[in-house]
Amino acid sequence: MTKRQIPHHPSRATTKPQRHRSAHCLRILRALSAFIDDELPRQICQEIRQHLGACPRCEEFVASLRQTVSLCRHSPAPVLSPDDRALMREKILAAIRQ
Amino acid sequence: MVPPRSAPRTAKRTSTAHDLREAFDSLYRDHVDLMYRYASRLCGETEAAKDLVQETFLNAYRGFKQFRGEAQVSTWLYTIASRACLRMRRRQKGAPQRELSLEELVPTTDGEFHLQIPVDDLSPEEALQNKQLRQALNDAIDRLPPKYKMVLVLRDMEGLSAKEVGTVMGLNERAVKSRLHRARLFVRRELSRQGLAGSSPSQRADTDSE
Ligand SMILES: [Zn+2]
Repeated sequence: MTKRQIPHHPSRATTKPQRHRSAHCLRILRALSAFIDDELPRQICQEIRQHLGACPRCEEFVASLRQTVSLCRHSPAPVLSPDDRALMREKILAAIRQ
Repeated sequence: MVPPRSAPRTAKRTSTAHDLREAFDSLYRDHVDLMYRYASRLCGETEAAKDLVQETFLNAYRGFKQFRGEAQVSTWLYTIASRACLRMRRRQKGAPQRELSLEELVPTTDGEFHLQIPVDDLSPEEALQNKQLRQALNDAIDRLPPKYKMVLVLRDMEGLSAKEVGTVMGLNERAVKSRLHRARLFVRRELSRQGLAGSSPSQRADTDSE
């Protein structure tokens, strides 16, 4: 598939490495959360994947963004102790009675 | 804001109060852990998190009659907690409320493209056994301006959909996604900039052992 869907940069070849922060890289970076959340139309996803294959820095960047999100998702959940749970309930009920 | 309600002055008063109390007890029992988790992700595991949980359930109790059940109970509680948190924050000091621009979040130097942390060939669970990494992650999230932090916590930590986050925060989905992207880029940048003492191979072996 040679047709590119990201507008405004029809003349930029996605198949050869580019200097980072090129306009194309910036367009890609803007869309990366939607990309990793799988919210983009298939055509655009494919185009981004093509760019990532050709642009090591964007590739590295998306990997680091994925890792960041994955760390957030798996970050351990703080747990309330049974004592605190009971104590807080008493405090709330006392405040309700006031 | 939910106005405080006085109990209805009718013959049904006693049974209404009783019903309310029962409803409160089951609401508390089923959701206190969820609300504490959310509160401590917003405020850290501190007294402030407990205060926020208490404030949330107190407001929920007062607002029971407004809850018509068309939203999920948890979404309703997240909404109450989020509002209470923003109110409480105004009285405390924390990361300042400001806008994050995409420009400032895009890396400009070579070192900033990857994370300086030992996560590459580890599962996130394994990586997070590294205390320094957990600390760096929490610090990075803590430095987020509040409205970005809330979106990130709700979406990427509490696991709400973008639509649900919009309901909780009174934003459209587009605004949620835009804030989320900036929040993630911010945390990513903080993690890539800081590096960690623990990213050396010897430290790394600690988290791998066993
Ligand atoms: Zn690129």
